[in-house]
Amino acid sequence: MASKVISSTIRRTLTKPHGVVFRRHNLSTAAAAAATDYEDESIMMKGVRISGRPLYLDMQATTPIDPRVFDAMNDSGINEYGNPHSRTHLYGWEAENAVEVARIQVAKLIGASPKEIIFMSGATEANNTAVKGVMHFYKDTKKHVITTQTEHKCVLDSCRHLQQEGFEVTYLPVKTDGLVDLEMLREAIRPDTGLVSIMAVNNEIGVVQPMEEIGQICKEHNVPFHTDAAQAIGKIPVDVKKWNIGLMSMSAHKIYGPKGVGALFVRRRPRIRLEPLMNGGGQERGLRSGTAATQQILGFGAACDLAMKEMEYDEKWIKGLQERLLNGIREKLDGVVVNGSMESRYSGNLNLSFAYVEGESLLMGLKEVAVSSGSACTSASLEPSYVLRALGVDEDMAHTSIRFGIGRFTTKEEIDKAVELTVKQVVKLREMSPLYEMVKEGIDIKNIQWSQH
Amino acid sequence: MVSYRSEVVSICRALFRARRHQYPHYNLREYTKRRTLDGFRMNKKLTDQSKVNEAYAEAKAQLVVLERSVKLYSLYPPKTKNIMEF
Repeated sequence: MASKVISSTIRRTLTKPHGVVFRRHNLSTAAAAAATDYEDESIMMKGVRISGRPLYLDMQATTPIDPRVFDAMNDSGINEYGNPHSRTHLYGWEAENAVEVARIQVAKLIGASPKEIIFMSGATEANNTAVKGVMHFYKDTKKHVITTQTEHKCVLDSCRHLQQEGFEVTYLPVKTDGLVDLEMLREAIRPDTGLVSIMAVNNEIGVVQPMEEIGQICKEHNVPFHTDAAQAIGKIPVDVKKWNIGLMSMSAHKIYGPKGVGALFVRRRPRIRLEPLMNGGGQERGLRSGTAATQQILGFGAACDLAMKEMEYDEKWIKGLQERLLNGIREKLDGVVVNGSMESRYSGNLNLSFAYVEGESLLMGLKEVAVSSGSACTSASLEPSYVLRALGVDEDMAHTSIRFGIGRFTTKEEIDKAVELTVKQVVKLREMSPLYEMVKEGIDIKNIQWSQH
Repeated sequence: MVSYRSEVVSICRALFRARRHQYPHYNLREYTKRRTLDGFRMNKKLTDQSKVNEAYAEAKAQLVVLERSVKLYSLYPPKTKNIMEF
């Protein structure tokens, strides 16, 4: 009898649909109870009080794991715990099979052969291996690397490391819409160029580079073409044959997979040689020694498989949401600038600058929306992001940039709420701003002679 | 010709009505609702029997995954409500 009561209570509590906060039944008055309930439910962190979990609009930083991917990882993680490199027993064989299945899934997404995929710990390790590995292998004959000013920090830092070792690096400037100038790329290629590294989809502004044309140029000059496609796979159609890619970095946690795993595509025909960063037992074709993280790799494979099936559906949904967001904000505010080209863009990334508003205060007021600002990666300093600076955006506009990341799980109501909160905050700040008053009266801010007091 | 209409309808109902088939997490809950509805809508017009069988098998497999996943996720509900649920 007691067990029935217990089991029914457990069943009831386990099937509550909403986020559970077990309310203490206070004996005080309703008002006091309500106040206490609010106190219990709000979150207090880093000196900020938020009334609930913010809505997540930062898909470029990372994405939540899709439950279907999580499910695929569980069974294997619990049961197939062997080392995939153990050749002598069932546990090793099972784990190796699982890793090979994941390899095929990743390869199918990008149009490659499974033998060309090397699993790594993420896109950062893949970028490091690609940039440093290729150049170190060909260091006697090739001394020059070409990259852009808007690359991810790991690529830029690897290039800086190479510069310290004596290589020469050309950082190509980008046009104001964020795209690479193909003529400049053509001119920059020298006989001793060992690598061209240009990312497919920029993580800050979301522009898609003209990959086919760049691949064509690299093919003509016989230079290996490396691309950081962490933000691109599963979102835009990627084909390594069409784009003529020699090396491609991929990351799992940007496509609803687990964190801590990524892959590097290394072309086999014509063969790209590189020096490994991790030396050891020669796993992964000798290019990345170390035990394969079976559970994570399985998750990566499942995420790629899912992304291939859902790409079209997600693209339609996200495009609709992006238009809703942009139109919603533009209807109620003026002085909103989209950073980066609108035509050649991945729809899930919207980087907006609001004129006459101060960036830090805008972010402080947007605590109920989880977004990222332009200077996220360099947030220790107060400098605006180097990507926006490379686009030629003015300092004041670069400071007020906000990056909205829309993804598979974002809902229309979340977008509406984000629009409402952003507009409210910007309007509030502009009302307090004397600069905005002056602009309204028609004074041109750039031609003001500020007097010293 | 075997019609799967009754089974399809039962799956649809199972995926929507039963409270135990809902995630405690706002985003996942909304996504599941939308995706199942759109999934059924997209396959509504299929006439080729092999395609219908394929879609039905896929729906059944997804139901198994969904049930397991919802059970697991319900064991780890979020500790505070999402802003959208106020």
